[in-house]
Amino acid sequence: MSLRRILVIAKLTGVELSRRRIALGLLTALPLAFYGSQVSRGSDAVITGGVAMAFSVAGASIFVALTARPVDARLILAGYRPSELLLGRLLLLELFGLLITGIFSAIMVFGSDPIHPWAVASGVALVALTSVPFGLAVGAVSPHELEGVLILIGVVGVQLTLYSTELAAKFLPFWGGQRLLDHSVNAVAAGAAVPANALYAAGLLALATYFMTRRAPAVGGTKRHPRELLRASRHAPV
Amino acid sequence: MSLAVPEFEHACLDREGQPLALRATAVRKSYGGRVILDGVSLSVAAGESVAIIGENGAGKSTLMRICAGVVQPDAGAVTVSGRVGYCPQEPGLFDLLSADDHLAMFAPALGLSRAQAIERGRELLAEFAFPVHLRAQCRHLSGGSRQKLNLALALLGGADVLLLDEPYQGFDHGAYVSFWEHVEGWKGAGMGVVVVTHLLADSELVDRVVELRVAGSRLEAV
Repeated sequence: MSLRRILVIAKLTGVELSRRRIALGLLTALPLAFYGSQVSRGSDAVITGGVAMAFSVAGASIFVALTARPVDARLILAGYRPSELLLGRLLLLELFGLLITGIFSAIMVFGSDPIHPWAVASGVALVALTSVPFGLAVGAVSPHELEGVLILIGVVGVQLTLYSTELAAKFLPFWGGQRLLDHSVNAVAAGAAVPANALYAAGLLALATYFMTRRAPAVGGTKRHPRELLRASRHAPV
Repeated sequence: MSLAVPEFEHACLDREGQPLALRATAVRKSYGGRVILDGVSLSVAAGESVAIIGENGAGKSTLMRICAGVVQPDAGAVTVSGRVGYCPQEPGLFDLLSADDHLAMFAPALGLSRAQAIERGRELLAEFAFPVHLRAQCRHLSGGSRQKLNLALALLGGADVLLLDEPYQGFDHGAYVSFWEHVEGWKGAGMGVVVVTHLLADSELVDRVVELRVAGSRLEAV
């Protein structure tokens, strides 16, 4: 695995993402709109706004994964490893998520005056960090952007309708972040939030890796000696 | 019954003792129960150009993808000598990145520095009269220009076998003529060149033409 390749992919993913200005603006406005619509009703606006952050980061991740899909086969054929492509995108998107986390957390801390301000930042960061593998996994399994975005709306929408104390909420990917945000305003226990989210994120990343590797060319690289390029995994009579 | 796969030393020479660039043996592929390729074999010698023709749906692009290693066959084997340069029918490009961005992205995979890749890539693009500013995003390029970038990316790292799936779609006449002049040059440099085409006129420009027939395609020399 090459650090240079990972950084090149991260850089050019950033260039491409930065050129989707309108999409990025809309994605960033979405959680702000959720937060803004509820801020007058009380502290739960922090939970709603924080979980809705997943729209921004996971949405960007889905776009990145689906845009890259037609090119990935050629990149791997040229010599990239699927893991290098995935790590490059993961790196850039996590940085993007943390950048938005900082801005959005500051807005919510000053706007809602939570009991535990640090838990707001931690909760939003947890949502953002989980959103990247979630988006990459959804992008890996979705045939088109529409299906990917519908999955995103469905999962985040259901998470938003549930309280973090409900059993069903614990089976959704953003429960850890939701729980920390709940802790920040309602002081509920949040001990299992981080491990639960870490486990979920790892599972989603494994799913994204699996589908990416499965779709990857059977061969790749820069070998220059005679070699058997491909052999069928199962042989049929001919 | 297991498929017999040629040994390396045999795979590297054809019947006339020429070094083989590519050898596909008894390749079979089906999608959703429909057999696309059935026992297709193809050999291409180093320094030889081969055109693959056939009706729509005969499996020409599927065979190219299998030979490039992008798709796994259900049965059969493919052996190549050296690096494959693959130019797919649909240019796989990032719409929001420029030609230079693409060259920079492929650079580390091909063992080139960013500067080397951009210099070499610009030379290749200039050979095909790439007409627009290299900083233009791909979404602003014409179909022919996208295809020229597609071809340049296939050639960027240097290849021993070129698999070109209708590479000149959208080319103007000058670029089309230039393309075939380049095929002669690639042959002279010892590359094996396979071109998928619909144009019968192209059959005059290659060493050998093979036809894929629909429904359980098999290759036949024309």
